[in-house]
Amino acid sequence: MTDTLVVARKELLDLRRDRFMALLLGFILVATTLSVIVGAAQFRIKLDEYDQYVAALKASGSAVSAAAPQLFPLQLLRGSIEYIELIGGLFAIVVGYGMVAKEKQRATIELLFSRPVRRYSVAGGKVLALAITWLVAVAVVFTVITGVLLIVGRAPLQPVDIGRLLIAAAVAWAYLLLWSSLAMALASSTKHLSTGLIAVLVLWLVVVLIIPQIGDTMDPDNQVPGGLFKSLQVAKPDEHAVLAHFAGYDTVRNGLEVSSVTKHFERLSFAFLGIKDVFNQLPIAAVARQTLAYSLSLVLASAAAVGLALLTTTRKTLLRRNS
Amino acid sequence: MSEIAIRTAGLSKSYGDKKALVGLDLEVRAGEIFGLLGHNGAGKTTTVNLLTTLLPPTGGQMVIGGHDGTANPDAVRRIIGYLPENVQFYDNLTTLENLRYFGRLSGLRRPDARIDQVLEYLDFTGHENERLGTFSKGMRQRVGIAQAILHEPAVLFLDEPTSGLDPQGVRKLREIIVGLNRDLGMTIFMNTHLLSEVTKTCTSIGVLTAGELRYHDSLAATLDAFPDESSLEDIYLHLDSPRVA
Ligand SMILES: Nc1ncnc2c1ncn2[C@@H]1O[C@H](COP(=O)(O)OP(=O)(O)OP(=O)(O)O)[C@@H](O)[C@H]1O
Ligand SMILES: [Mg+2]
Repeated sequence: MTDTLVVARKELLDLRRDRFMALLLGFILVATTLSVIVGAAQFRIKLDEYDQYVAALKASGSAVSAAAPQLFPLQLLRGSIEYIELIGGLFAIVVGYGMVAKEKQRATIELLFSRPVRRYSVAGGKVLALAITWLVAVAVVFTVITGVLLIVGRAPLQPVDIGRLLIAAAVAWAYLLLWSSLAMALASSTKHLSTGLIAVLVLWLVVVLIIPQIGDTMDPDNQVPGGLFKSLQVAKPDEHAVLAHFAGYDTVRNGLEVSSVTKHFERLSFAFLGIKDVFNQLPIAAVARQTLAYSLSLVLASAAAVGLALLTTTRKTLLRRNS
Repeated sequence: MSEIAIRTAGLSKSYGDKKALVGLDLEVRAGEIFGLLGHNGAGKTTTVNLLTTLLPPTGGQMVIGGHDGTANPDAVRRIIGYLPENVQFYDNLTTLENLRYFGRLSGLRRPDARIDQVLEYLDFTGHENERLGTFSKGMRQRVGIAQAILHEPAVLFLDEPTSGLDPQGVRKLREIIVGLNRDLGMTIFMNTHLLSEVTKTCTSIGVLTAGELRYHDSLAATLDAFPDESSLEDIYLHLDSPRVA
């Protein structure tokens, strides 16, 4: 067994025994699941109403067939994705930071580095442990969510929906690994641990909360519940005509929004799950084509964060005193 | 003439302007128990951190067990064991899990049999499956020693190994140190500011004052060299008094 695997195994064992970590992961699971349960219950009510309506029509001998409601059960995942986006990102930071902090604060690092461990073994083992942790967490969350959709919502999931869920899970995994690796890199590379933590939290605030929020707030359509244009009874073509006059403004607004990798994560997930209406009738390949830029950006950002974590978590940085 | 386990020449370490160790020239022969005495802040921990390759020196050379410490630190790491001052482990892991971890990182493929053997030797069986978080200082120290000798190092470094232990713990540890030297032939380098440690366990001593090695000789020679001093303590205090420029 190589040193990297030895380190990864130890980290996973340590995480598994950590009550605080269990609490964090449990919280994400409960939050994401609850949001789907609420949605699924409503979904089922709508479905029941439709079934009753059809039954009533049949009983009255009517030959008119009612159009089935346009229901996309995967749209119920909106809340879950938002939880992963916000709290998931934050928790990923806590876990990634802890990987380095707990070792730096304690003398275990001296035992570790008095052993002949290779250059990338410690960093590699820790990143591998993070990758496995988030893989398991994401697998559990998405399995539970799917179960809720099927059982509580009695949602008729198609094979293509499972494909969509798998892609969304992979996207969530990359996103969580991104934040964990970034937190690990900052905890390693800063002389004082607290500096690293503050830096990564500020980054989280800006990337996850502030930039997407500014983008959202600047969108006039978001100012009225249900949508500005809808409430003004403006039809879609007219809406586009109106917005054409504000093209410059909207470019800035959109530019701001898409400068955040969190927004890319959100748009990718929303597209693949069909949460954004324009995508829910498209085949997966078409969705993938249209969102390619976001996929690339997320993959590159995650890879860069992992690379940074590997490069910064060294004998030299971890042994630096006064941490 | 037995072989040299530790040799340094002009070994130095500065933290910014602060000179923690100044031009250390030292030879410790294989099979010795060398005690490095010094007041708080004398540079003992710095010296051990340099010799265990945890810190890069600012100057000078060191050779441990025939391996150049700056050119080939991994070779040094393979033949040394280290017990830091206030040793700490992964508290969520058991004795066995902690020792397996460090044993594997020291190159043992199947560490379990060796762990059993070492725990038996240290008289510390029965705690294998207890987590370190619940351990007393003395128990932790015992696991620390186990960790340091698992891979049968040629040279063992101990930083203030008895600090914080109760009298029974101190005596037990002393027996262990002497035993490791006698039974396994380990060369031992230990830091302490307690004179009694040195007289009871060491075969040679050095005295470090403000980063400089002011004295180095065998224990027997030291006792001979200061016939008119009433006790070794006086020698230590005499040597250790701040240098008059
Ligand atoms: N990371 C550091 N940065 C700056 N100065 C340091 C650092 N580590 C140690 N020193 C200084 O170097 C000198 C030697 O410290 P060292 O820890 O080696 O002493 P010591 O002999 O082990 O003392 P003690 O008996 O208290 O353990 C001290 O003056 C200390 O303040
Ligand atoms: Mg010290």
